[in-house]
Amino acid sequence: MTPAAPASSLLVPDARTQARNRAEARFRLYGLAAVSAAILMLAVLMGSILSNGLSAFRQSYITIPVTLDAATLDKAGTRDPSGLRQVSATAYGKLIARNLQAALAAKGIATDGLKPKDIAALLSEDAGARLRNMVLADPGLIGRTIDADLLASGRVDGFLKGRVTEESAAKDSKIKPAQLTLVSAMKGAGMIGLRLNPAFLTAPDASEKRPEAAGLGVAIIGSAYMMIVVLALSLPIGVAAAVYLEEFAPRNRFTDLIEVNISNLAAVPSIVFGILGLAAFINFAHLPRSAPLVGGLVLTLMTLPRIIIPARAALKAVPPSIRDAALGIGASRMQTVLHHVLPLAAPGILTGMIIGLAQALGETAPLLLIGMVAFVRDYPGLPPAGLADPATALPVQIYNWTQRADPAFVERASGAIIVLLVFLMLMNGAAILLRRRFERRW
Amino acid sequence: MTLPLLLLLLVILALGSFLAGRARALMVAGGDARRLHSLPAHHGLNLMLAFALPSAVALAGWLLARPAAAPGPAAMLAIPAIGLAAAASLWLTMRPESRARNEVEAAAKGFLILCSVIAIATTVGIVLSLLFETAGFFRQYPAAKFFFGTVWRPDFRGDSDLGFLPLLWGTIYVSAIALAVAVPVGLFAAVYMSEYASPRFRTFAKPAIEMLAGIPTIVYGLFALITVGPLLRDWIASPLGLGTSGASVATAGLVMGVMTIPFVSSLSDDIINAVPQSLRDGSLGLGATKSETIRQVVLPAALPGIVGAVLLAASRAIGETMIVVLGAGAAAKLSLNPFEAMTTVTVKIVSQLTGDTDFSAPETLVAFALGLTLFALTLGLNILALIIVRKYREQYE
Amino acid sequence: MNDLRLTERDLDNRTARMTARKVQVHYGQNHALKDVDVDILDKTVTAFIGPSGCGKSTFLRCLNRMNDTIAACRVEGQITLEGEDIYDRRVDPVQLRAKVGMVFQKPNPFPKSIYDNVAYGPRIHGLARNRAELDEVVEKSLRRAALWAEVKDRLHAPGTGLSGGQQQRLCIARAVATEPEVLLMDEPCSALDPIATAQVEELIDELRENFSVVIVTHSMQQAARVSQKTAFFHMGHLVEHGDTAQIFTNPRDPRTESYITGRIG
Repeated sequence: MTPAAPASSLLVPDARTQARNRAEARFRLYGLAAVSAAILMLAVLMGSILSNGLSAFRQSYITIPVTLDAATLDKAGTRDPSGLRQVSATAYGKLIARNLQAALAAKGIATDGLKPKDIAALLSEDAGARLRNMVLADPGLIGRTIDADLLASGRVDGFLKGRVTEESAAKDSKIKPAQLTLVSAMKGAGMIGLRLNPAFLTAPDASEKRPEAAGLGVAIIGSAYMMIVVLALSLPIGVAAAVYLEEFAPRNRFTDLIEVNISNLAAVPSIVFGILGLAAFINFAHLPRSAPLVGGLVLTLMTLPRIIIPARAALKAVPPSIRDAALGIGASRMQTVLHHVLPLAAPGILTGMIIGLAQALGETAPLLLIGMVAFVRDYPGLPPAGLADPATALPVQIYNWTQRADPAFVERASGAIIVLLVFLMLMNGAAILLRRRFERRW
Repeated sequence: MTLPLLLLLLVILALGSFLAGRARALMVAGGDARRLHSLPAHHGLNLMLAFALPSAVALAGWLLARPAAAPGPAAMLAIPAIGLAAAASLWLTMRPESRARNEVEAAAKGFLILCSVIAIATTVGIVLSLLFETAGFFRQYPAAKFFFGTVWRPDFRGDSDLGFLPLLWGTIYVSAIALAVAVPVGLFAAVYMSEYASPRFRTFAKPAIEMLAGIPTIVYGLFALITVGPLLRDWIASPLGLGTSGASVATAGLVMGVMTIPFVSSLSDDIINAVPQSLRDGSLGLGATKSETIRQVVLPAALPGIVGAVLLAASRAIGETMIVVLGAGAAAKLSLNPFEAMTTVTVKIVSQLTGDTDFSAPETLVAFALGLTLFALTLGLNILALIIVRKYREQYE
Repeated sequence: MNDLRLTERDLDNRTARMTARKVQVHYGQNHALKDVDVDILDKTVTAFIGPSGCGKSTFLRCLNRMNDTIAACRVEGQITLEGEDIYDRRVDPVQLRAKVGMVFQKPNPFPKSIYDNVAYGPRIHGLARNRAELDEVVEKSLRRAALWAEVKDRLHAPGTGLSGGQQQRLCIARAVATEPEVLLMDEPCSALDPIATAQVEELIDELRENFSVVIVTHSMQQAARVSQKTAFFHMGHLVEHGDTAQIFTNPRDPRTESYITGRIG
């Protein structure tokens, strides 16, 4: 045993020091817990979206031979396109329903207790329309028998993805347990299965009754158009404003007013910009509702301060010695800025621009107020005229789908979020790359 | 004659005047560019501006006067003619010592100023559009009844109750829960990041936390709707008998809190880092532990800045829309139960202004009054926060 | 001259409070201090002098383990306080720093009241049982720092509102309030004007009655005025260490002579 050290020895911590060190450890733990909690929430958020949404990229298709009977599809027998257009999607729907029954009979799958209507209900209401588009694009198919991939209904799709079960079907007016038994048998025979669904990215929205057909085509185009408008307006205006404030503006009350305005606008809630857009662009200037042009204008006003602030920082980071050098050999201030300061600040300005665009891409609330929430099935035309056509936008489409009753739309909405996040990640990744590649330390 | 055709003609003429100006400059200099005050290109640009500005003004005036009609042949000729006349007079008066560069640069500076002024124009636009429609609302609905009413029951057939208080209460309640989540987590995270974390941990954790700020609010809204709402309902609210609604103040507040964490943490991080190292050394040199230094020296010194950061976060929470639209519900209520669905100012702005709306009905116009109140509230918080943060920054500069 | 000799004789009886043996310090790849051996005597002012970057401040910060806060810094060798190795695993730097206090180059009062600044150390170390005792400690410390008369009527005014010299004396009061055995001062006058410097130098001389003081200084005149022992550092080496009078009048090492005559530095 070593002798007891004197009370003041450094080697033996006194009770108070021990208590203080325990408090230190606790405090440190709180900090770590806070960081972990934040990161955990990020993980849970991502996990929730991915687990709900990844399945939206795959869709159930029923594969059967379909005889494109000329007697039904082209009574005149002339293959005249205008004549072919007379045949409605419903007629195609009836045709494939008959073919489905025949295919089931051919494979010897029992359909006891199911009416023909119930069997037809396994197919999406959109299946006929899609087949019709195929035939109209290639009238030579008429009279032949093709192996067609037909879109299955939302409930059948949900059954294959595990969302719909026998128990839920018993309480569901849209599907019967017997239909699910039939689907299981068809799956066993290889007639139905999940496959990649590019239509999710290209097809327009579909009505409440057919979630299986709903796609993001119009929303992606609408968002892209808005981004074009935002980029075309906010890049020159934002850079010009930043250059003026940083390089030319005298220090006076007017400049102060502009600066205070910009920093306040950056913090104004986005929905207020929506109200401004509604009052100024739609009610006052009579621009069309639901148009990407108006959406782009509103997002431009919202994004401008968020671009000007980093652009000014980038200009400020260019050392004054560069300006002195250019002015010293007789360049005018405008030439100094255009030839020397702006090129050096460009990577920083572009980085801020991309991040501002990414924020604009994810913005929802102001777009709701200017009517971007409308149900739009037609693709907008090519710009510039197409900018005034009705369209929707990615985040608004997500909101739209969350407001629908059919649970299949939750999968669609989560899938759309994955698409949105991929776009955002690409943009932010580009911004990070740009910063890494061109960052200059003075 | 169509508008696009006229525009094409104007662009061609503008390019032509650039070339003409450049050629004319060389001509008056006798082919020796060194005799010119400004570069030939400046003279070209100057002549182009001399053509384009009057034409643009004429075109804009003409379009404003008769917006629907297509330009007739008269306008087709009159608009470019005005520009050409201005350009021609410059062409004739051009001399080697003409200060074309100064004039071009003055015009460019004018453009820069115009772009800067858009910020003011936006603010004015917001204030005017809100004030104008709000005045219309208060002509139809008494202001006192709006600001002090406790019932919100809009009815498009008329005779609505449009009391503001239940909406304000919902907004404050949701924001308070959000701050109760975001302030401790964000502050502790900032302290840990700036005072304890190893550089390696920081390079991984800091972007992860900041990623929370880059996620669009619609994503948080969906997260509240499909994950957090049902979770709170099934595990807390239902077993305790507090409610059966997935959408609730707690759901929206919690998710909004997560969204707000990075605002609090990155602002606090900056502010904590602005506290001079000498203060930390002073405290550590006296034998204080790190946590004692942080709690008793660093945080009190950073307090004004942190208060500013919290105010900014509060303004953010009050103005947030999508999370509450999807997570908080639509029922305007004055209740203390956090597991009940309530609604906020922003939710009602959305619901009163989407769909087919009649801009003479008070049920629609009330949204502008709500917007004005929201604008005033967040603006006040922001200005207060900026003043506090600026004062704080000056203290250590 | 007479009392200088008296002090010298006195010094021989003094015991060493702190001893340093073969101390090496590395900052990452940089070998900042090499084989330093120094004794810090009781009730004595020891001055560390030398050109910038010679390692004198680094060594000072080793004495109360302030270098622990710098991740890349590695200390080897042995430093003892009252015979106990301060780099022993069992030693808590927090407890050590209560015994080896420190005053910094730039006055760094906390943004709190004068009273709270001085009471900070006693509070965290639990040195006062009640308010009356704390008041007593604060008053005693402020008196020792020769500041009491100037601030006794405004103890609750912010410490940051004092003048530079007052702020530095407040920091000294803050450091002596924990009753340290050794007081380290890192160029305490470099941010002060000549009058404030004279006041602080006078104060250092008075502090010698109760503490052993180690002062890092750039000014050789200051070292000569306030210290009894002087250590000269150059390029990370302790070149010479001895009585102040001897170092300044009769240096043994040519490098010391060059420095005090102004040829290097």
